[in-house]
Amino acid sequence: MRRVRLMMIAVLAFAVWGCSEEEPAFQVNLGRRVETSVSVPKRAVTYAYLPQFAHTVSYERHRLLVEYLQKATGLPIRQIFPDTFDEHVKMVERGEIDISFSNPFVYIRMAAAGARAFARIIEPSGAPEFYSQIIVRKDNRNIERIEDCRGKRWLAVDPSSAGGYIYALGEFYDNGIRREDFAEIAFAPGPGGKQEKVVMAVYAGAYDIGSVRDGALSLLKDKIDLAQVRILAESKRYPGWVYAHRPGLDPEVVNKISRAMFALNMDRPDEALILRTAGMRGIIPAVDADYAPVRELATKLGLEALEAIQ
Amino acid sequence: MRVLDKLKFSTKINLGTLFIVTLIALPLAFVVSRMAADALIDETKKRGMVISENLASRAADSMLAMDLLRLKNMVDEYKGVQDIVYAFITDRDGNVMVHTFVQGFPVELLAANEADDATPSHVRLLFTGRDYIYDFAAPILIVGARFGTARVGLSRAQTQNSVNRLVFFIFALSGAALVPAILFSSLFARQVTRRIGLLREHAEEVVKGNLDMRTGPIVAANCWEIMNCDLTHCPAYNDTRRRCWYLAGTLCPDCSDAEDGDKEESCKNCPVYNRNKGDEIQDLAETFDVMALSLKTHLEELKQAEGVLTRQEQLLRTILDATPDFVCLIGDNLKYLSVNKAFADYVGRTAHDIEGLSEFDLFPEAEAKLTREEDLRVVRTGLPFDREKRARRGQRDMWLHVVRAPVFDKDGRVMGLLRTARDVSQLKLFQEQLIQSQKMESVGKLAGGVAHEINTPLGVILGYSQLLQEEVDKDSQIYEDLKIMEKQAKVCRKIVADLLGFSRQTDSAKLEMCFNNSLMEAISLVRHTFGLDKVYIMTDLDERMPIIYGDPEKLKQVWINLLTNARDAMVESGGLLLVRSRLDSPAQKVTAWFADTGSGIDTENLQKIFDPFFTTKPVGQGTGLGLSVSFGIIEDHDGSITVQSPVPKGFFNQEAKEAPGRGPGTLFVVDLPLDHAETLEPDHAIDKGRT
Repeated sequence: MRRVRLMMIAVLAFAVWGCSEEEPAFQVNLGRRVETSVSVPKRAVTYAYLPQFAHTVSYERHRLLVEYLQKATGLPIRQIFPDTFDEHVKMVERGEIDISFSNPFVYIRMAAAGARAFARIIEPSGAPEFYSQIIVRKDNRNIERIEDCRGKRWLAVDPSSAGGYIYALGEFYDNGIRREDFAEIAFAPGPGGKQEKVVMAVYAGAYDIGSVRDGALSLLKDKIDLAQVRILAESKRYPGWVYAHRPGLDPEVVNKISRAMFALNMDRPDEALILRTAGMRGIIPAVDADYAPVRELATKLGLEALEAIQ
Repeated sequence: MRVLDKLKFSTKINLGTLFIVTLIALPLAFVVSRMAADALIDETKKRGMVISENLASRAADSMLAMDLLRLKNMVDEYKGVQDIVYAFITDRDGNVMVHTFVQGFPVELLAANEADDATPSHVRLLFTGRDYIYDFAAPILIVGARFGTARVGLSRAQTQNSVNRLVFFIFALSGAALVPAILFSSLFARQVTRRIGLLREHAEEVVKGNLDMRTGPIVAANCWEIMNCDLTHCPAYNDTRRRCWYLAGTLCPDCSDAEDGDKEESCKNCPVYNRNKGDEIQDLAETFDVMALSLKTHLEELKQAEGVLTRQEQLLRTILDATPDFVCLIGDNLKYLSVNKAFADYVGRTAHDIEGLSEFDLFPEAEAKLTREEDLRVVRTGLPFDREKRARRGQRDMWLHVVRAPVFDKDGRVMGLLRTARDVSQLKLFQEQLIQSQKMESVGKLAGGVAHEINTPLGVILGYSQLLQEEVDKDSQIYEDLKIMEKQAKVCRKIVADLLGFSRQTDSAKLEMCFNNSLMEAISLVRHTFGLDKVYIMTDLDERMPIIYGDPEKLKQVWINLLTNARDAMVESGGLLLVRSRLDSPAQKVTAWFADTGSGIDTENLQKIFDPFFTTKPVGQGTGLGLSVSFGIIEDHDGSITVQSPVPKGFFNQEAKEAPGRGPGTLFVVDLPLDHAETLEPDHAIDKGRT
């Protein structure tokens, strides 16, 4: 009888445990409603980075630089984020972007609309210019010279990538190889890490040849055996990314900004951090003529190539 | 508990199963429900966090681009999806940028939950007055900088519904588990109770005496079939009612020689045991069968023993009752333990009534006292004791020879005595007769001697009396006196001759003679004289004229004696005397019957009439030697003479019945052996001729 009672108590204890412990709730009246409105940002110098990456990446890279420029110039500078290359170009043309940071090919399009270069960066390699590297697997005996690339499968970074595709294409042009001479031209799937993906694809043998900008190989030094990758050829050097201002921007503003930019020095740790975060070693003055080789390459590759970029 | 005791066994099993299943299922259902509900709510929270964090992450780009349309699209994607009640995004200043509410934004919601930069999201349970909502706040961070907050509200009601459904399902499942549990327990209970019920029915049958019931199941294969055994003399062979492991002395080579108690243990590896061994109830049933069979066997044996005992008792009782002796067993307290029928008849009670009584209850005090003393003597001394005593039974005195023998128990102590009393009155009578005979024999010899001695002087007296008669005048008184002397001397000579005859001192001259002639001679001799006394003689003699070997004179004397005796019995009123003779060839004898219609002989005197000197006649008329002399003569002829009175009915023919002076009559029967050499052959020839 006592056992039965004990069992009943155990059952009741389970039941109580099963039903207890109610979570505390915060009382909210959803009846009180208001209409909301978005706060309008204050007028400022707009700074845009060609949307090569996601906005957050763009923001992350240039946040410190923009903050520095604000501080150095005393101007209100706000980073804005166009969604596409085309929008970037058009916003410059419409005057919505005051300071544009873009690659040389986009620049020559914007320059056509009146934008003017006033500064260019020193690449992480230390040179103010960069180039393409055409890579193959080390043991690929079918491709000994650049001519051997005919009929092969080529993986490039992106149709709009200067170092990852266009410069390499120019090199093939110079060697008499046209796009149609390849068995296939493919581009690395996005988003992000496209340079690395090209190296990985060639390393894995998925493609015969690959094209990356200089410095890309070193990104994978800890992941793969780089000795298995052979650099078949390198393109000519071309000037790197360029800062341009929209047509009609107050020259004083441009002046202030360019001065502040040029003042950045890798020797100062805080500025070095700014420069490294932005993916550069320094900013040097530039003029539109510096991009003549780019215009020349664009012409050489034809309007088709430009269209392709777009 | 008393109520529980009264329930049927099957109900108890069902209740027990129900109780156990409930006891297991209920807490389990509670625990599982609780755990499942917690897991579901945790899952909801995690999902809410993921949604809010995902929204915050996705919103970052659009926040940077200030793309309100994309932000709006993002929050609207969650609108109406599953249990999501709302979603909205605020900027770093807490201003609502986009939301899913239709008519204005509920302003209290802003302060209801807050996300800090350190945690990916923060959850808080809100109560709107109608519904519970889990609010998730995820900070929108870009490179560590706070750009705003993504907020998502998940209704707890749907989760609760899911929880409730789950709990319901679990409890329903638990409830449903009860159905098969009860079903199986019912089947099980029925199986068990059916077999127990069968056992009970059979036990009741056993109580009623029916021991032929079979309780155990019939097995598919018996031991001799499984083992392919042909040992037909094995006790287990063909025994379908008992399992072999219950039997002793089985002959299977696999069977151990263990004692009965250990036999089942040694059968554990036997294929028969493993195949036919059932559960405990089957064991019980089979043991029950074995018990019933043993009981039946024992009962039959008991019945047989009882029958034998009863037969023996009846036999003993018959022997005891058949004996004319008075047998009684008396205990050491001198009370009757058992008596036989003769004794019971003697005291005039039933044997059953006498048991437990003492002497004083059965006999007069004086006799009882004496008997008791004698009984006591045997009980005390342990020595047998016998004596003869005279007892009076009704009007008749009788002699009893009483023997008392002590009865000992197994320890040698006297536990009573067996008293046997035999009626020896007849023996006593014979003893007296023997003494009388011896006395008579002495007297006879004496008389014979005396007779022989006086025969000569008597002859001289007779001779001289006759001589003197010639000498005197025949008319003179002297002549008359001499005549009287002669007559009396002749009487004396006859007496002397009888005495000599009785003492067998006369010579016997046996020769072959005709039995009928001998009879007829005697009859014709007396017929006339008898006729004067109106005693008529009728003869019915065997026509075969039997020849015997005997002394004609002596036999004639016997016949005349018998005839004279008969005449004397009828002398007053006259009567009829029938003489009949018959030859009995198979018995090799001839018989003569002498029947009269006289006064007959008293029963008391029948035994004495052949005694010498016994007579019922007046003094001077008979010597009492006639019949005893006749007895002696017949005995001398190897024959026999007997007497009956009255004459048996139907002996006389019609004429005799009409005779005058008819009395009860006396019949003498004389048997004499045939003369062998001459008579056997013709008799045999006749017998052969008849057959």
